[in-house]
Amino acid sequence: MTFDEILSGSLQELRRGTVVLACLLLLREPGYGYALLEQLRDLGFAVDANTLYPLLRRLEGQGMLASEWNTQEARPRKFYRISPDGERLATELLADWGRIDASVRRLAKGGRTA
Amino acid sequence: MSTLTDRYVWGVMRAVPTAQRRDLEPEIRALVGDAVEAREAAGEAAGAAERSALEELGDPELLAARYTDRTLALIGPRYYPDWRRLLSLLLPIVVPITILAVGGAGYLAGQSAPDLVGSAISVGFSVAVQLAFWITLVFALLERSGRPSPRRAWTPDQLPELPTGRAESPVGLGVAAVAIVIGALLLAWQQVGSPVVIEGVGYPLFNPDLWSFWMPYFLVLLGVELAAILWRWRAGGWTWPLAILNLLTNVAFVVPALWLLTSGQLFDPGLVAAMTDLGAAPAFDVLGRIIPVIIVIAVGWDAIDGFRQAWMRTRAA
Repeated sequence: MTFDEILSGSLQELRRGTVVLACLLLLREPGYGYALLEQLRDLGFAVDANTLYPLLRRLEGQGMLASEWNTQEARPRKFYRISPDGERLATELLADWGRIDASVRRLAKGGRTA
Repeated sequence: MSTLTDRYVWGVMRAVPTAQRRDLEPEIRALVGDAVEAREAAGEAAGAAERSALEELGDPELLAARYTDRTLALIGPRYYPDWRRLLSLLLPIVVPITILAVGGAGYLAGQSAPDLVGSAISVGFSVAVQLAFWITLVFALLERSGRPSPRRAWTPDQLPELPTGRAESPVGLGVAAVAIVIGALLLAWQQVGSPVVIEGVGYPLFNPDLWSFWMPYFLVLLGVELAAILWRWRAGGWTWPLAILNLLTNVAFVVPALWLLTSGQLFDPGLVAAMTDLGAAPAFDVLGRIIPVIIVIAVGWDAIDGFRQAWMRTRAA
């Protein structure tokens, strides 16, 4: 295994859970699947279409997102939006993200204890 | 004419439960449509844009599985260790026993040698395949039964015993070596001492003609076995080369021994004649059929056991 392969595997592991958080935060503004995919990619989240779309549907099924069909435009699109429960989840995840970030920074500076 | 998108959507839908289809179909159409539109806006030709948009979504069955949280493994990590343990426990026990049983029964029924080997191999093979299939099927169904795993939680009591460093006790090896030496001495003694006495006449057990070739051959074989035991002692137990040597010596013993026995050359002709006079011929006949079965089972087990122990040692190392 080359270093690059190890790196890309590790990055994938590291980023796995962050897509959920990023989706929730992005969907504070209503958005539809393809636009969300593009936004995530522009932000540097390497996510596959066939991972993101089922993920949106799962979050909807869990009540973290709400959805609505927009039929005003030429083609109907399903718009997702964060729900109150989703907002709570995002807050918790953000807090944890902050804790992990703080811990990792402390470790990087050579600290061992909290 | 149906478009690629139609075919793609159909490919996803047929792998999704009916209840989800109504809502999912327009969603996937919209997703594909958006992707095609974006690609065309970026300058791709219409047909190529559709094609690459679908390529990006990937295998429809995989997408459907992700939408429905369906298992994409026959046996997942939850059951795999149990499945493997069960198979590797049952196969090495059931298959050899079946082969020996079928072979033994066929032999007692007077089957010819090629038929015997043929039926033993085909029954052994089909038992192995059946066993593997049914066990795998049960685990695959368990994997899909959705219910939380009924398996007992793993406890440290299930840990396998460590093979002790010098797995083989020197006592056991010593006994085996002494048995070989005594066997060789008995072979010589039965010839000189004529120990089988019938109506006042002493007979040797084995045919004296065998000394021209076969008896020295078996004695050399015993010497090889003795050397293998010394080697085993120095190596601290079974190794792969030893297991192979053991298999070869076992074959080198069994094949001529069975041939001599079945062709009537093994026992002393005087002894056989005296026994026949006593009216023991039918008993001899039955013995002549049973003894080879016992020899094959014992020697076959010994050969398999060598490989088993070598395998256990390499795994432990």
